[in-house]
Amino acid sequence: MNHENQISDAIERVLLDEDAIAARVSRLAAEISEAYAGVEYGQDGLVLVGVLKGAFVFLADLARQLAVPHHVDFIALSSYNRSTSSGEVRLIMDSRINVADRHVLIVEDIVDTGHTLDYLQRTFQARNPASLRSCVFLSKPARREVPVSIDYLGFEIPDVWVVGYGLDFADRYRTLPFIGALKEKIYKS
Amino acid sequence: MGLHGDVDKILISEDRLQQRIVELGREINEMYCDDDPPLLVCVLKGAFMFLADLTRQMTIRHEVDFMETSSYGARTKSSGVVRILLDLERNIEGRHVLIVEDIVDSGRTLSYVTRNLETRNPASVRVCTLLNKPSRRVIDVAIDFVGFEVPDEFVIGYGLDFDEEYRNLPFIGVLKEEVYAEVEAKTS
Repeated sequence: MNHENQISDAIERVLLDEDAIAARVSRLAAEISEAYAGVEYGQDGLVLVGVLKGAFVFLADLARQLAVPHHVDFIALSSYNRSTSSGEVRLIMDSRINVADRHVLIVEDIVDTGHTLDYLQRTFQARNPASLRSCVFLSKPARREVPVSIDYLGFEIPDVWVVGYGLDFADRYRTLPFIGALKEKIYKS
Repeated sequence: MGLHGDVDKILISEDRLQQRIVELGREINEMYCDDDPPLLVCVLKGAFMFLADLTRQMTIRHEVDFMETSSYGARTKSSGVVRILLDLERNIEGRHVLIVEDIVDSGRTLSYVTRNLETRNPASVRVCTLLNKPSRRVIDVAIDFVGFEVPDEFVIGYGLDFDEEYRNLPFIGVLKEEVYAEVEAKTS
């Protein structure tokens, strides 16, 4: 497969290739399957809540490797001011499954400032789930503004602009099968 | 694993799914070009897994957007009119739109979504569905890319659910009749 036309101009380097991603997602799925072993479908079951748009690729790969039965749901958010990431998060579409007494696992593509995950954790905690954990593909600790707990983490990455595997730049490069660092001339232009 | 115990048989294996998705990705690459990239519209929830694999096979430039709909109830079911819970983030005026679906059976929802998007004056609206169940069709809908035609059986897995269950199976399976008979008996 050839993504040359999309990447030659825009990608500085590949940070995580397809094999590294697949191996890590498998290990995460094994850890999560073990942690929730014995949980079945039902009123006290497990719900994976994927955060749109970015998490859909990670969620698709993670879910199909989980041995534990679970439901899948989605939530869509936006920030009031995209340029500052000030932490004011707006809920665009809520999840559909009532999570009271269920085990909730929030699935996020990336945590940088932490505001979005913090908002989600507070929102879901208030709904009285049986438990609330988070599974995050990438974390950029250098950018953190609020402390958040991440229970299952794919990779820690440096403070560079990354795209692919669900992550975009102005909606571009989102579905590249690897994580690449964007060239500075792209995001500064 | 408990998940597989309710599967009567595997209709489409993981390998066959993935091979066909590679081919679909190629067909779509040939249909569009980088200068006028398509917007892929995923109708949640069922199509998310297909979308994740399909888009990673696409080498042409494209964007993705999501819609989620909900039925108004039995009275509007026959018209296919649904409530839009999540609308597109993007303005599609003048854009090429490719609707990505997990399955087309009656065609009602797809027909409505297509008509809804066409009112926004896109350059084109095409449809790509992983599964097609023509025997169940009640409204004619044009489909441009089809993964597999399936018989009129209760299919689950790879995004498709029964009562929110089995979505994450990596293959397309047929649900055991006793599983859905039991739930239907409980709810009727």
